[in-house]
Amino acid sequence: MLYFTTLDEEFVFSFLGTLPLIKMESSDSSDKGNIDQSEAQRQSQLDRLDREEAFYQFVNNLSEEDYRLMRDNNLLGTPGEITEEELLRRLHQVKEGPPQQNSDENRGAESAEDVSNGDSIIDWLNSVRQTGNTTRSGQRGNQSWRAVSRTNPNSGDFRFSLEINVNRNNGNTNPETENEPSVEPSSGEDLENGQSDSEIPRSESPSVRQPGSERSTSEELTTEEASPPRGQRRARSRSPEQRRTRARTDRSRSPINPVSEAPRRSHHNTSSQTLDHSSVNEAEGSSRTRQHVTLRQHTVGTEMPSENAVLFSTPETRPVPQAAGSSETNSTSESTTPGQRPPTIVLDLQVRRVRPGEYRQRDSIANRTRSRSQTPNNTVTYESERGGFRRTFSRSERAGVRTYVSTIRIPIRRILNTGLSETTSVAIQTMLRQIMTGFGELSYFMYSDSDADPSGPTPNQNVDASEPQNGAGGTSSNEGADVSSGEVYEGGNEGGSTSGARREGRNTRGSVTFEESGSLPFLSLAQFFLLNEDDDDQPRGLTKEQIDNLAMRNFGESDALKTCSVCITEYTEGNKLRKLPCSHEYHVHCIDRWLSENSTCPICRRAVLASGNRESVV
Amino acid sequence: MQRASRLKRELSLLTTEPPPGITCWQTGNQLDDLRAQILGGADTPYEKGIFNLEIVVPERYPFEPPKIRFLTPIYHPNIDSAGRICLDVLKLPPKGAWRPSLNISTLLTSIQLLMAEPNPDDPLMADISSEYKYNKQLFLLNAKEWTEKHASQQKRPLEEKINQSEASATNDSTVQKRKGSSISKKEKKSRLDS
Repeated sequence: MLYFTTLDEEFVFSFLGTLPLIKMESSDSSDKGNIDQSEAQRQSQLDRLDREEAFYQFVNNLSEEDYRLMRDNNLLGTPGEITEEELLRRLHQVKEGPPQQNSDENRGAESAEDVSNGDSIIDWLNSVRQTGNTTRSGQRGNQSWRAVSRTNPNSGDFRFSLEINVNRNNGNTNPETENEPSVEPSSGEDLENGQSDSEIPRSESPSVRQPGSERSTSEELTTEEASPPRGQRRARSRSPEQRRTRARTDRSRSPINPVSEAPRRSHHNTSSQTLDHSSVNEAEGSSRTRQHVTLRQHTVGTEMPSENAVLFSTPETRPVPQAAGSSETNSTSESTTPGQRPPTIVLDLQVRRVRPGEYRQRDSIANRTRSRSQTPNNTVTYESERGGFRRTFSRSERAGVRTYVSTIRIPIRRILNTGLSETTSVAIQTMLRQIMTGFGELSYFMYSDSDADPSGPTPNQNVDASEPQNGAGGTSSNEGADVSSGEVYEGGNEGGSTSGARREGRNTRGSVTFEESGSLPFLSLAQFFLLNEDDDDQPRGLTKEQIDNLAMRNFGESDALKTCSVCITEYTEGNKLRKLPCSHEYHVHCIDRWLSENSTCPICRRAVLASGNRESVV
Repeated sequence: MQRASRLKRELSLLTTEPPPGITCWQTGNQLDDLRAQILGGADTPYEKGIFNLEIVVPERYPFEPPKIRFLTPIYHPNIDSAGRICLDVLKLPPKGAWRPSLNISTLLTSIQLLMAEPNPDDPLMADISSEYKYNKQLFLLNAKEWTEKHASQQKRPLEEKINQSEASATNDSTVQKRKGSSISKKEKKSRLDS
C-alpha cells in the first residue's frame, strides 16, 4: 500500500516542482517574444517526432526475440528519446554480450595495496578519489577478503567492492594474516547466476565462487530468462603462498571466462563502468533503477547539471542448511558441517555520476515490473523510497542458498567535491560509515560461516534504523543507525572496534562463538537496508513473464480495428500487436508498458489476468 | 509511448472537433503545457462562466494521466481552492481510473460533467460538499456568485497581462485561439500560492 502512497507523493511532488519551471519557460518565451527560442523548441519537437517515427520503425522491425531482449534490458527507452542509430547500437551491444575490456590491466597496474582498515569514511573517500584504484585484501585462516576500489578520474564514477570468501575446509590451515593482491573484482556478475551457481555442490572442493555483485534488485528480479550462469570458480590451494600466485593467474583469466558465459551484458557494467564510453553505457543498463531518484530530483527543479547516485548493494550468498532454510529465527544455528559450500560475500558500493536525462528509469519496463511473483526463487523484494533515498532489499532463496541484495540509491550532489557538506551528503556519509563499519565487522563474519538467517525476522526492527536515516537525512540518523548495528554486533564481538583488533581476537574463536553471537554484523547491514513490510506494496503491474504469455500477432490489413488506442496511431503492416484476453489489441510496445504497471485493459478495464492468476501477481 | 506524436494528434483533433463547450490550446510552443476552457453548462450554477484550466502533460503520458487544474476559482465540492480536481479518471489505477485509451478531450468532457454533477460523496471541499448535500439552495447561490465573480466574461479587460503572456500561444496556427480570458488577479495569486 505504501508503495502507491509513495508514488503518489512523488507524483505530487514532481508535479509541483515541475510547474514553475514550465511556467517560467513559457512566459519567458512568450513575454519576450523570443522567436529563436520558440523556433528551437519547435525544431526540437520536430526532431523528437522524427525520432519517434524512427523508434516505431525500429521496434516494428525487431524480431520478437530482439524486442524482448531490448525491452528487458531497458534499452528501448522512450520513443523519441534516442535515435534509431543508438537503438541499433544498443541492440548490437546487447547481442554481442558485454564488452570485456575489463579493467584487468587497470587494476593490476593501479592497484595499491593498503591494509589499513580503520580509515574514516571521508579519508577513505578522499584517498580513493585521489589514488584512483585501490585494492586491499587479506587472508585469514579459511577466509580471504578483498576490497577493491576504483575510480574513474574522468567521470568521477567510483566503485568499491568487498568480497569475502569463506572456506571451511580450509579451516585452520593458516591463521596468519596475509596480504594478497586483489583477485578478480566482484564485477557485474549476475546475482541470480550466482545463486544458481552456488547450487552446484562443491563439497570437497575448496573452490570459491564469485556471486554476482551489485545489480539493481528489481532488474535482477525481472530478468529471469537471463543468461546462463557466469559463475566463476577459483580453485584455492591450501597454502597461502600458492594461493597468492593462483589468485593472480586467476585474475588475469577471469575477465575472459565470462565472455561466453554471460550474454547479459547489461549487468557487466559494474566491472567496466569506469572504462570507456561504451562501457559507461553498459553501466546505464543496470543502474537505471538508481536514476529514478535522480530523475525525480531533477524534475523537482533543482539545478543540477549532474548528480551522483550512490548505490550500495550488499548481495550476500551464504549457505543455508536446507533444514534451516526457512527458519526465520534470529539465533545462529549449528554451523555448517565441513565440506559444505563455502560462502562468498560481496559488498558493492558504487558511486556514479548520472547525467540528467541520460535515462528515464520510470520508462523502463523491466525496472517497473515488480516480480515478487517469482516465487520459484522465493524472492522477496522490499522497496521503499523516502526522503530521496530509494532502498531495495530483496531476499531470495534457492536450493538452500539465501541471497540478499540490498540496494540503496541516493541522489547526491558533488559528494566527492564538496567534502560531504550538504545535508544529503551527511546522511550518505552516515550510511557509508555504517557500511564501512559493516566492512570492518566483516572479518568477524568471516569466522562465523554461520547458517543463521538473522535478516529474516528483523525487518521491522530494522525500520527503526532506517527511518531516521530517511527522514532526517542528517546527522541525527547516525544514532538510529548505529544503535541497530551496535546491537547486532554485541553478541560476539569482544574485540576492539577497529577491524584490525577484531581480527586478531577472532583467530582464537571457533564457530561456537558464533553460535552465541546470534546475529551477524554483516547481516545487520542488510537489515539496515531492509525495509519495512509496510513499504512492501503489492505490485500492480504484470511481470514480464505474464506479459509475454499474452497472445501476440502481426497486424494484417484485413483487421477490423485499425488503431492502437494507446498511441492513437493506426496500425501499419507488420506491426506487432498484443491481444489481451478481452480481445482488445494494442501495439506490443504500447501495451507492454502499460501492463508493466497496471493489470487492466486500457479499453474495457477488465483484468488481464484471471483472478486465479492474480494471486501470483500479488 | 508516443507522447509527442500522440499529443499532436490529440491537439489537432481538439482543434478540428472540440467537444461542445470545450476549447484547448497550447501555450507557446510547449506541447506539454496546455490550457483549456470549459464553458459552464446551462442549468448549472456555472452557466455563462468561462473556466480556464491548466493541463500539464507528464513525460510518461499516456501512461500517466495529464495533470489538470482549474485556474479559475470555482465553487464545487470536488474542486479545491487551488483548482485541483478530484476525479477518478485523473488518477492512476488502482486508486484512479486513468487509462491510456482516454485522452485530453475525454478528460475535459469528464470534468465538464463533474461540474454539472458534483459528487458530494467523494468530497475535496468538505464544507461545500455538505452544503451541496444539505442546503442546495445556498450552494447554488454561492456557486453562482463565484461564477460571476471569477468566471464571467466581463473580467476580460482586466486580463491584459494574461493575454499578453499567452499571446504567443495564439500565434501557433494549429492551435485554436482562445476566446477570452477570465483569470483575475486574485486567482492568479492563488495559483502561485498553490
